[in-house]
Amino acid sequence: MIVSLKNIYFSYGRVQALGGVDLDLSEGATGLLGPNGAGKSTLLRILLGFLAPQRGEGRVLDYDIRLEQHHIRRYVGYMPEDDCLIPGMDAVTFTAYFGELSGMPRQEAMKRAHDVLFYVGLGESRYRLLETYSAGMKQRLKLAQAIVHDPRLLFLDEPTSNLDPQGRREILELIKDISSRKDIQVLICSHILSDIESVCSHVVILNKGRVAAQGQISELKQLKFRLYEVRIKGEAEGFVERLKNIGCRVDVAEDKVLKVYMPAERDISDFFRQALEANIQVRHFVRSQTSLEELFAQAVGVD
Amino acid sequence: MTVREKGYTHWDGELKPARHPWWPIARLGIKLAFKKKYFKFIYFSAFIPAFAFLVGIYISERIEDFQWMVRGSTRILEMNPRFFNYYFSSDFLLFMMVMILLASGAGLISDDLKYNSLQLYLARPLRKKDYLAGKAAVLVFFIFSLTILPGLVFIVFKLLFAGNFSFLSSYPWLPLAVIGHSLLVTVFFCLYTLLLSSLSKNRRYVSILIFGVYVFSDILHGFFSENFKQPAFALVSLKANLQQMGAFFFKQKPVFPVAWHFSLFILVSLCLLAAVVLSRKVKGVEVVK
Repeated sequence: MIVSLKNIYFSYGRVQALGGVDLDLSEGATGLLGPNGAGKSTLLRILLGFLAPQRGEGRVLDYDIRLEQHHIRRYVGYMPEDDCLIPGMDAVTFTAYFGELSGMPRQEAMKRAHDVLFYVGLGESRYRLLETYSAGMKQRLKLAQAIVHDPRLLFLDEPTSNLDPQGRREILELIKDISSRKDIQVLICSHILSDIESVCSHVVILNKGRVAAQGQISELKQLKFRLYEVRIKGEAEGFVERLKNIGCRVDVAEDKVLKVYMPAERDISDFFRQALEANIQVRHFVRSQTSLEELFAQAVGVD
Repeated sequence: MTVREKGYTHWDGELKPARHPWWPIARLGIKLAFKKKYFKFIYFSAFIPAFAFLVGIYISERIEDFQWMVRGSTRILEMNPRFFNYYFSSDFLLFMMVMILLASGAGLISDDLKYNSLQLYLARPLRKKDYLAGKAAVLVFFIFSLTILPGLVFIVFKLLFAGNFSFLSSYPWLPLAVIGHSLLVTVFFCLYTLLLSSLSKNRRYVSILIFGVYVFSDILHGFFSENFKQPAFALVSLKANLQQMGAFFFKQKPVFPVAWHFSLFILVSLCLLAAVVLSRKVKGVEVVK
């Protein structure tokens, strides 16, 4: 296991941020999702060793998160959410500097910094002062400093924030390319569900300091529920109530289309039985692809 | 094929623990300080007393040749511990050191707080003490170059110009006094600057604080001494405390009639306070409770 956490607790004073998180991450890109205050940032900070858990135990790259934070940081790359720079430096010196601090020889770090900056698309502007960089360039620079020492595990905190659609697409392509290497694992913390869906094979959904769901996105989508788009003729309210009584979740979308989330243990015949009993005509019944957004909503219990 | 088209490539080397992880931080801090033109001016101006004293050492050894210049006031050119104390405790040198701290040290931590780079440092295999040692080393470099370096150079040149070791045999403890006093001044100024630099994200406020606290403490000393005629008020002045310690190290009569223990106590207390505040302020994340 790349990351393995057991029963992790952390509180900021009286406010509990994590309340017994169990987590196992294996190879590939993993998305870390959750509403604001779910504990995503706290979890990342614990994995990096910025914060020590008050209870529980865990290992990252087989190093103890309480005792061997120093070793963990050598093999981990971190791209923070906030803009980070050192005024008065250019990109190539900045990137090489953090490579050197990670344990690379100075000349090797400088050579690698050039390559990495070309890779993230900052090759032409690598000698410009960082203060003159745009938001998108700063985002690429953060990615460059995170991968300069060729980490085994990469933590990306909101990697596409502050980016225009084109920039976002390019950063996602870079992340996809990095995570396609079997020997680099990526953990992406993001609010943009479509980003996670396009890059990650696994997902961890946090809610109120606990893991609400975790696993392969494709499996989670199948196992938890099936989604149907339905159009009906008749009195909808009573029918919706009946469906809820048998464990379905029903959202009324635009054009009066009903989105019916059917639990895995229920059968389609249950749906039609309820329609028959409620004297409802079913005009349209299509199995729909569940999106991560719907999975997320189901897991955290919000619309 | 461009790097971009090739895709992500691995680095062939092996990451190794650095023997001195603070060194790249120190090197960068010194380099960035020298990028500022006004810093270069301040720094090289601070060497004026050292050159003047070096010329004084030369003249003191060739006093017959320079009789027309010194016109009988040869006492000031006598090479003895008083000469060294005069250099180390001079108002000009201490003032220039504060100016150097202001120009090179104000942004050391405050810029990292402002531009969020502290988390990048602490996400590397660096301990908090490595980070602080790197930042302190920048200041150590500049202050040592104005204290320990000229102090030892004065002794070496005195021996070279004299052509014998009689000076050193008269004052064998002098090199130790130079090293001891330089260490005290350096440690105090380092912690003083890093403490103030960690208190604000704004480098300008920090600069004002570095200068203001030093000058204001001296103004307070003057004000209270004049009004209450109590020599103990010298203890409120940073400059006076450093001068008291200079007098102690070079075995001179104290500038103010106050025991040197009190000055040492005040300077050490300030250093401890700075160390406690720094260990609390330097964190990978800002935790809002």
